[in-house]
Amino acid sequence: MAHDTALVFPGMGPVPFAEVGRFMVADPIARDLVAVADEALGYSLVDAFRTSPGDYSEAAQVAFFVNCLACAHWARDHLGVEPDIVAGPSFGEKAALAYTGALELPDAVRLTAEIARCLEEYFAGEHKDIVTLSFVRAPRDGLDAILADLDEAGEWHEISCHIDDGFYMISLPEHRVQWTQERLRAIGSLPLYTMRPPMHASAFRPLREKAEREVVSRYSFADPALPVVADQDGRLLRTGEELRTMLLDGFDHPMNWPSVTTALKDAGARRLCVAGPDSLFGRVPCATRNFDVVAAHPRLAMTPRRRSRAA
Amino acid sequence: MFDDRFEQILRPYLPFLPPQEELTPGSDLKDLGLDSLGTVQLLGTLEEDYQVRFRDSALTMDTFRTAGVLWDTVQSMLHPAAS
Repeated sequence: MAHDTALVFPGMGPVPFAEVGRFMVADPIARDLVAVADEALGYSLVDAFRTSPGDYSEAAQVAFFVNCLACAHWARDHLGVEPDIVAGPSFGEKAALAYTGALELPDAVRLTAEIARCLEEYFAGEHKDIVTLSFVRAPRDGLDAILADLDEAGEWHEISCHIDDGFYMISLPEHRVQWTQERLRAIGSLPLYTMRPPMHASAFRPLREKAEREVVSRYSFADPALPVVADQDGRLLRTGEELRTMLLDGFDHPMNWPSVTTALKDAGARRLCVAGPDSLFGRVPCATRNFDVVAAHPRLAMTPRRRSRAA
Repeated sequence: MFDDRFEQILRPYLPFLPPQEELTPGSDLKDLGLDSLGTVQLLGTLEEDYQVRFRDSALTMDTFRTAGVLWDTVQSMLHPAAS
């Protein structure tokens, strides 16, 4: 069966309250979802998001999740996006779980908040010196030579994300970042930024176990209404159990976006709707060269639209 | 100041710069809407258009901080003896 339209929930990046706050209170769909989130959380999501410091606070994470879902519904109502298949790279897994009905929305809200707390607790005490460094246009042989030198120096490192050709994120000790950036520049690569908390590395197996024990085990995962593409390897998932495993794999397996776009293309997708405040996944060549990309961004939803002649 | 070609290349990456507003050497490109992926795309466009290759110290986000710094970097690659 061909899956013409794919819906993608993006991984999370920093989104200032000023960029999406108005969408959360003014868009009717977003407002309804925020009300469900408020009820599930027991506090005002908008107020907490506005006042919480840091790009990845619990409230910022739940807000990103809610805004992605709201954008997907907005795209259905205003752009006619009726997806046949769903993917959610990295943080986007959580919105994919909710959209496909694997988790009820209040449960998905609580799970998102609880995982955020779990991450904060874990990294407050563990891997304090580990960050994730992103960079573009690194030829694979040049990158392999740099990674081999890190190996030789006995420095732990792992590729956490493969975003596109030459575009990677690696987790490594913070004291090696400057050295790695210089080596990357020497092979023509542009280092972009470092992130903390780090993510998607086998060293975080204890985090996976903590999250499974304290959070994920308390939820039941239903079979999804639509097939979901695993962001680690592009496998097509059709059961709640498989989605649960994908969520847990997200802690200690690398994310591979090209494997997802390849799987979507193989499944017959021609249109890719990226729902949410995306600044990455819908813009890299493996997305733009393979699909007609529709960016359902809160900014677009808040842009005044001309009434159609039929209206 | 910079040449017309440079400004023509740059402007599409600056969504918050109105068409009638002047681009100055001190213009902060991030404030004007140049994000990380826009930086990567702009880098490729400049290299192709000016037939230069950014390397080593030019490959930092600081190079893309202001229009003036970016212009100076391109100029230093086009006219290495003068820099």
